[in-house]
Amino acid sequence: MKEMMYYAHQALKPHQELKYVIYGQFWQTDFLRFYHSQTNYNISKECLSLGISLYKGKKSYSFNIDNPDQAAFDAALANAMALIDSLPEDPDFVDVEDDLRKAPEAPRINNIEAVPLATKTAILSRLTDVVKLHNFELYGTFICNHTISHLINSNGLDKESAGSPIYFEVKAVHNESQITVLETFGGEDFNRFDEADFTHRLLRKIAYCANDVVDVEPGEYTVIFAPRCVAELAQYLAYGMTAWSLDQHRSYFEGKTGEQVFPELVTITDDPNDPDVILFDYNGEGHLYQKLDLIDRGVFKHFMCNKYYSYKTGLENNGNSANCLVVKGGSEDLESMISGIERGLYVSSLHYVNFINPKETSVTGLTRDGTFLIENGRITKVVNSLRFTDKIVRIFQNIAALENKSFTTPFSQNYDQFGIEAVKSPHAKVLGFNITSSTKTI
Amino acid sequence: MELLIKSTIEKLSTTGITFADVRITVTDSEGIYFQDGNLRSFGSSMDSQAIGIRVLINGCWGFAGSRQVKANHIDRLIARAIDNARHGSRFVNKPVTFDPLPATISEFHHRPEIDPFRMDKAEKLDYLGKLAQTIKPKDQIVFSSVSASFVRQEKFYANTEGTYTHFSCYNTDPSMRVVSSDGAKIQERSWPGDMSAGRGGFELFYQHAFESNTGRIIKEATDLLSAPVIEDEKADIIIGNSQLALQLHESVGHATEADRIFGMEISYAGKTFIKPAMLGKYQYGSEIVNIYSDSTDPAAMGQQPVDDEGVPAGRTDIIKDGILVNQQTSRQIAKLLGLEPSSNMKASYADDFPLIRMTNFCLAPGRGTLADLIADTEYGYLVDYTKTWSIDDNRNNFQFTTEIGWKIVNGKITGIVKEPTYYGITKDFWNACDRICGPEEWTYRGTFFCGKGEPGQAMQLSHGVAPARFRNINVKVNI
Repeated sequence: MKEMMYYAHQALKPHQELKYVIYGQFWQTDFLRFYHSQTNYNISKECLSLGISLYKGKKSYSFNIDNPDQAAFDAALANAMALIDSLPEDPDFVDVEDDLRKAPEAPRINNIEAVPLATKTAILSRLTDVVKLHNFELYGTFICNHTISHLINSNGLDKESAGSPIYFEVKAVHNESQITVLETFGGEDFNRFDEADFTHRLLRKIAYCANDVVDVEPGEYTVIFAPRCVAELAQYLAYGMTAWSLDQHRSYFEGKTGEQVFPELVTITDDPNDPDVILFDYNGEGHLYQKLDLIDRGVFKHFMCNKYYSYKTGLENNGNSANCLVVKGGSEDLESMISGIERGLYVSSLHYVNFINPKETSVTGLTRDGTFLIENGRITKVVNSLRFTDKIVRIFQNIAALENKSFTTPFSQNYDQFGIEAVKSPHAKVLGFNITSSTKTI
Repeated sequence: MELLIKSTIEKLSTTGITFADVRITVTDSEGIYFQDGNLRSFGSSMDSQAIGIRVLINGCWGFAGSRQVKANHIDRLIARAIDNARHGSRFVNKPVTFDPLPATISEFHHRPEIDPFRMDKAEKLDYLGKLAQTIKPKDQIVFSSVSASFVRQEKFYANTEGTYTHFSCYNTDPSMRVVSSDGAKIQERSWPGDMSAGRGGFELFYQHAFESNTGRIIKEATDLLSAPVIEDEKADIIIGNSQLALQLHESVGHATEADRIFGMEISYAGKTFIKPAMLGKYQYGSEIVNIYSDSTDPAAMGQQPVDDEGVPAGRTDIIKDGILVNQQTSRQIAKLLGLEPSSNMKASYADDFPLIRMTNFCLAPGRGTLADLIADTEYGYLVDYTKTWSIDDNRNNFQFTTEIGWKIVNGKITGIVKEPTYYGITKDFWNACDRICGPEEWTYRGTFFCGKGEPGQAMQLSHGVAPARFRNINVKVNI
């Protein structure tokens, strides 16, 4: 790849009239998918790609070449050069990224080699033996990616980075009732995977499933959201914290910088320095990825902004893009959070959440993979999956307590040459969560 | 490519490999995006080649995919696919089996009316640029976009049963959108709605009459800022084609993908409320509801000569006179259900693993025009143009919000409503369907973005629909 990158750089360098970005990536995945406690399929995929963006004044054109060679690059460049003068201008474009700072070099392992298929299936076999005692079977994915990225641009950036995230998600499904619980591991260091603790947490959730299944009426409930739900809600909230959404007039946070928007116990950062999230050295344009305060003790602090929108909106280019969200933990332990609830819900996971109106942050979505009734301070029953319709900001405004422990939830983007990122968050106790109907199914 | 794919299949025709297939795709794509009247991005990816090798060994699938389609790379991919199957088979208790099929040899090449890759680039940009200028921010319009995505894909497929096919097609996704604001709230309108894609080239812009609908979406987006919401608890609703395509997609299409019955999608997309025992008995909809899967119609994006495991194209009734009669299947799943495979195994690119996917998934037309149907409705709403969609992982409880609705009183439209939202349970909803418009209203609507599988794949597929009426539907959601 390096040879092609510098070939493209040498070809573009003499064109003083151009600004340009050359982005090369070698991407691999080893992807095990399992169901009914057995292999569904094993996939190995790889892709070498080269992306070029050219800017001539305020005119731009980009092209991508998979498995590039010099002849393909020469032909694509000739086509682009013949075309670019005829294109209309984008008056908002000013320059490409100029952040020359580099991330400290750190040794990275390739987890495709470090966690081979035999290791994955051995772990799954042991988990299978444990859950089948409770008449459960395993469904899920065990993914290892490996990516080497290289970015060169006309402002002198020449940055390489590598990553090898792991995503391991296990759903345990009861063979008759279909009641489902899930547990996940994500990160880059597989030595942090504690199989005994993972198994213990999965079995504790399976124990909840021995209770009766009931339905609940629509209405407002006090809810304990699992860390995974808090993570996903934070991602939806972060949508409105981007300069992109501000520019499109879709941001709830428009005009609210410095305002107290949530209770003081809510603090959210985008923090690549947290050892529990998946590390990103740079954003997609080569800007150094650094910690950014988004919500500080309830006060909205910053929009996430890249070079393009920095020129367009006047906001500072911080290069953040919500890849490393951390919702700060609170002071209560989970048991005491639950014990204070007379009648409420424990929600393990969310499904198919979609904005109704992004500016108002109204959404609808469903609970999934383990919804439980809390009565008199303890989990007593399994509840059918439920539909909610609410506003994300209202949910964060109604946070009454946050757990004193945090957990990392990985999210696989899954499409094309997909990446894996992680959000760190605690359990949250939320008042008045708006359940609007039942699915009548588990 | 033909020589390469056939020589690869020869290497896989050995003892120990129960079945193997090889696919190669060559894909050209181009995307053009205008924002607020200005060209924001214009990009292409040409001649993107991909190969996928799938082997069945000891009852377990192994797969290796790559964007390096070179003869000297093939042996490494074969070894990887075999290794994945062999290692994976140590964690298998019910081996994959299916019945053999006779070899199919086929070739089909679709040609659009206006090839978007060959047409004059200045003409193309001029047309889109004028649209973008027409809808650019002014007065209460604060954001606008015009986008075009063009894809040309050539596919080669061969398997160890002797099947070989060579296929190519063009698909296009045209779209425009405006966002209005009164300073505090926003509304939006798009054209021709979310299900905007179809088989064809640049002619889709003309077929959807973009130029004559710019004024309409600007006015409607502006009017929506002061429009009322629906106050009724329940109402009769007529769903227009853009939204009905998505309703069909989510609550019938995905629900009848039979891999969901067997838990193959639990880890991501989910299950289905359908059980094998329901086939031939289950009253999925009212007796006027007829739904079928058809990969033979070249007018829409789901057409293909054979699917991605060698099953020839076909038309399969899924719901007949309201009764669930069949499923969308793979060869493995068809055997488990005692059905014939329905030619629904597809992958987005050759380096993706094939999955059960919708092709052309259609609601058969009834009778009459949309105007007739509105005139026949005493009180209700016509809703269309998807804004929000959500359905549970059993495909049972759905809730949709559309961009706009029109109130109907005594057979006449009396005004608009904003963000009309309706929800229900799949079976109850389709059983409440009492009228479907006729062939004169029936059109294909499609998407480039049907997500499924792990690793995820975005599939291009189509739905044939005509506006339909559903009685006494929940339309009140308290936020």
